[in-house]
Amino acid sequence: MSDMLAVRQLHAGYGEGDILKGVDVTLPAGQVVTIIGPNGSGKSTLLKTLAGLLPVRQGDIVLKGQSLKDLSAPRRVRAGLSYVPQEYNVFRNLTVLENLKIAREFMADAKTRGAAVISDELLELFPDLRGKFKARAGNLSGGQRQMLALACALAVRPEVLMLDEPSTGLSPKYMADIFETVRTVNARGVSVLMVEQNAIEALRISNTCVVMANGRVRMTAPADEVLGMKDLHSLYLGDARENAVAI
Amino acid sequence: MLQTAFNGLITGIIVTLPALSVTLLFGVLKFPNFAVGAMMTLAAYMVFALNVQLGWPLTIATAAVAVAFGGLLIVIDYLTFRPLRQRDSITLMVASLGLGFVLENIARLAYGNTARSFAIELARPFRFLDIRMNREQMITVVVSTLAMLAMYFLLTRMPIGRAMRAVSDNPALALVRGIESPRIIRWTWFIAGMLLAVGGVLIGMDRALEPPMGSSYLIAAFAAAILGGLGSPLGAFVGALIIGIVSELATLVIPPNYRIGIPLCVIALILIFRPQGLFGQPYIRK
Repeated sequence: MSDMLAVRQLHAGYGEGDILKGVDVTLPAGQVVTIIGPNGSGKSTLLKTLAGLLPVRQGDIVLKGQSLKDLSAPRRVRAGLSYVPQEYNVFRNLTVLENLKIAREFMADAKTRGAAVISDELLELFPDLRGKFKARAGNLSGGQRQMLALACALAVRPEVLMLDEPSTGLSPKYMADIFETVRTVNARGVSVLMVEQNAIEALRISNTCVVMANGRVRMTAPADEVLGMKDLHSLYLGDARENAVAI
Repeated sequence: MLQTAFNGLITGIIVTLPALSVTLLFGVLKFPNFAVGAMMTLAAYMVFALNVQLGWPLTIATAAVAVAFGGLLIVIDYLTFRPLRQRDSITLMVASLGLGFVLENIARLAYGNTARSFAIELARPFRFLDIRMNREQMITVVVSTLAMLAMYFLLTRMPIGRAMRAVSDNPALALVRGIESPRIIRWTWFIAGMLLAVGGVLIGMDRALEPPMGSSYLIAAFAAAILGGLGSPLGAFVGALIIGIVSELATLVIPPNYRIGIPLCVIALILIFRPQGLFGQPYIRK
């Protein structure tokens, strides 16, 4: 299977030191890869670097054979890489409809730009947004906001969807909805790279699990194998990170 | 009392345009631009050059300068603020103070300190419900209202306006939604430049053209923007009207010379009791 996204020996960080110290991650086309690991392991930093919010200090990011490392964040979106941050992932002072409009208004592809903002597909994937289009995004519930953020990220018809802790702070109902939506989106051909603390739920819809610790990848394994591990909790809590064996 | 309140309303309406510029620039660029006063002065003198020295009608001169001044501010931003973009807001604010001195003194160097006025015919004021209103005040009301409606249309109905609000709301998210911030910054300067040029002409019509004319509205413009909530265009509009009317009505009980203190008191009170202003969102440090 061809690689949709390949991250090679990536170094990035804030200030003087590197947080990512040579990360290698591969996302095959049409698959879901979930990254787990203890707090501070560099998971969110990795997604921010891939999205273009942090500069690449060393290494490369390759999307369908094209290097993205020198592209600005908006150009990476146009290249097909869409990102949903963990927090502050909607424009709170804009309405739901304005959030959806703005998500595609600056795309280079005229077809994407001109497509109807409220489509049957959108309403089918995000039924919770029905009837909320005139509401200010800041007034939505946490779950509705997360759905809106996901809808905006998908509005640009990405090849790769990157999600940073999509289930954080959500009720069990919304959590199940989010993972179900991610599964549906993936089934329609979008490759997904997800960082998630809620490992069990995330791995159930994933093909591959990547375990990160201290800014490095400690293990890459098929998701069902990781789900079967007895010490799964310690993998993302960090206790067994030194014992994990690279596969 | 009614006449005083009306005069205050006119002052407030004049303040709406610079207040809107302050709030737009703050929203997108995240620093208080103290050069807006001097920018209005310079633009007003540019209109004076076309109107009085070259004999152009005031409307055409204003329209031409508004467009040119929008472009000039993009160039000024490129030379002054762009190299400092990654610095903190205090650095940019100090740079704007310096820029204000330079711009105001360019006007002073060219035209001196003598008060001047645009070439407009004198017209008799007319009365309505015991309120005396002159033609310049009517023009101010009409032009400011049209400018505010245009801004409302731009910010809510046009992609570039929505993008300006998005960058103002959450700059990092705007980047990952595909919005090129340099382009939005250029548009913001251009639009602010147009508003400031028109604002400068309205001040020049209300009073006279002299180098400190724009700076004298600076505190009122900031008070209006802060009262309404920095970053909120609607807030800037409402804030400006409140500041104008309150400042003018205050002269019924305090000597007019102290009128300038009213906006400062408003700034102090709003920062103590409601720092986000009337329409602003509480600031969240990310």
